[in-house]
Amino acid sequence: MTISHFAKDAAEIALEKFNRGEIDRRSFLIALGGLGLAAAFKPGVARADASEIVVCNWGGAAADAFAKAYGDPFTKKSGMKVVIDGAGPAVGTIRAMVESGKVIWDATDGGMIDSLTLGKGNLVEKIDYTIVDKSQVPENFAGEFGVSNYVYSNVLAYDADATKGAAPTGWADFFDTAKFPGKRTMCKWIQGQLEFVLMADGVAPADLYPLDVDRAFKKLKPMLADIIFWEGGAQTQQLFREGEVVMGNIWHTRANLLNKETPDKFKWIWEQNILSASAWSVPKGNPAGKKVFDFINSTLDPAGQLVLLQIMGNGPSNPKTLALMTPADALVNPTTKENAASQIMLNPAYYAEHETELQNKYLDFISS
Amino acid sequence: MRNFKTTALLLTVPASLVAIGLYAAPILQVLALSLTEPKFGLANYQSLFANAAVGRVVMTTLKVSVMTTVLTVLASYIVAFAIIHMSAGWRRISLFLVLVPFWISVLVRAFSWITILRRRGVLNSALMEMGVISTPLDLVYNLFGVTIGMIHYMMPFAILLLYANLSDIDRRIMQAARSLGARPATIFWRVWLPLSLPGIALATLFVFVFSLGFLVTPALLGAGKTLMIAEYISVQISSTSRWDLATSLSTMLLLVVGIIVFAAMRSPALRAAFVARPQQ
Repeated sequence: MTISHFAKDAAEIALEKFNRGEIDRRSFLIALGGLGLAAAFKPGVARADASEIVVCNWGGAAADAFAKAYGDPFTKKSGMKVVIDGAGPAVGTIRAMVESGKVIWDATDGGMIDSLTLGKGNLVEKIDYTIVDKSQVPENFAGEFGVSNYVYSNVLAYDADATKGAAPTGWADFFDTAKFPGKRTMCKWIQGQLEFVLMADGVAPADLYPLDVDRAFKKLKPMLADIIFWEGGAQTQQLFREGEVVMGNIWHTRANLLNKETPDKFKWIWEQNILSASAWSVPKGNPAGKKVFDFINSTLDPAGQLVLLQIMGNGPSNPKTLALMTPADALVNPTTKENAASQIMLNPAYYAEHETELQNKYLDFISS
Repeated sequence: MRNFKTTALLLTVPASLVAIGLYAAPILQVLALSLTEPKFGLANYQSLFANAAVGRVVMTTLKVSVMTTVLTVLASYIVAFAIIHMSAGWRRISLFLVLVPFWISVLVRAFSWITILRRRGVLNSALMEMGVISTPLDLVYNLFGVTIGMIHYMMPFAILLLYANLSDIDRRIMQAARSLGARPATIFWRVWLPLSLPGIALATLFVFVFSLGFLVTPALLGAGKTLMIAEYISVQISSTSRWDLATSLSTMLLLVVGIIVFAAMRSPALRAAFVARPQQ
């Protein structure tokens, strides 16, 4: 998606927790550091300046918490200030910026798919792997135009009260309204949607791509009346809490929050979860030049990624983080071995090529 | 006198400049993009008309807008008609109540409707407790919910437009009708209604044109299933980067609204609404 809906949602989760006092300022800042959001928040429009790193993300609401925090590890190490611009690095915005020659961002928080789209449009720099340590992340997380610093999954969450304690065993149960009566929810943004429909229809994970759109629509059609489509993570929690739906394809971070709220009622399964990776991208002609790669490299550090998992639930992109986890951490992490057993990985190359067309087809399908 | 007119005209210059700079120029930019993205020509408009999905979005928009307009104007007429017959004190209170929704954001209003209409919401719970229904009704996340939300948004505008028109009607005409033996129903159908046609026409035009561009209400209350033009454009701009589609559709919408307004303004009823009434 050219808007990173997930990244936006992750920042919202942190802010909510911080506002409720569930996490202290320090942890909050460390967590955002893991997201690459630490150090400083300067409200208003960021100015291009070679002595600072300007990071664009989706969580502009956290202005107060960022304002005084100049003590980030990266700043300590490098002496460089990190400025956060919460404007949201949509692909369209980056394109407008690069094409007009007024680039103000050094690093943007998007998905692997965005990085490919941006790279194809010649709008971003190649990741400089002489500075960024490629060995910190699995091979498929270190793309030519983007390197991942966290991951997240689409999982099947359910209301155990409504299912009378019975647990679904895979996406097929999403469609089994005889066994699990009640409404469902899935996302109106296409990523990770048709995959689960096809798996429910019996397609083997290895044969998912290219997606058989017609087959997926055919499977989905009879269910449409029973599905409420969500567009933001907070909404998924709302739909479950209010008893509007009994089952749904939602982000694992939100499933985890629901479970923390009411452990016996809201649960999720890791079977056939669909993993997506974030990516840092560097707009062409970024003001800080090569220095941004030092910053990006620092976000691959396991310590920061662990805190990110503990605070927001985002999984680490660096496998070394697994060794640092407590059993409780491992339980809610999408890259833990047991949780990843039947996991499939969203195919960024396929989406970079087809997402626009697919998204519009999908919107047309669900609204007609 | 001439001097005064010149000064008055000059006073409008700053506002005009602001309007041109912040409103007209960006619109022209959108128009330009629709002709140049990705290359110069009318190709975007050709593909717009060939695009069946866009056709369905337009049809949904028209359907919702027409329903909203008819029901809003009907309900608002009843309210406005009641208000002009109230005593001064009640009228003040009623007009105040009509204005209250204006101060509440469209988002809050949409969420309030979700709270009322959802499966375990206020309305369904009440109906089930009274034994009227046994399973909750699907009142939201569909066309019905969207229409309710939009009617609620549009009613204050329509009520005020109709109230202004109705309260301008000379009541002595009704007295005359009554003295000539007309019954109340006859007075309404043959005197009130014809005289309030300009107000009805104005409210209809206003509500319809406004409805065509609704974004937040359908997005929240429709939950993806009621896709209207404004939301479709917004998705094409920010999510799919189909600026060609977004800009040409925006331009078409603007053009169609322009034509509707232009055509409507030529109708006798609307001309009457805008022509200064002779002093009585």
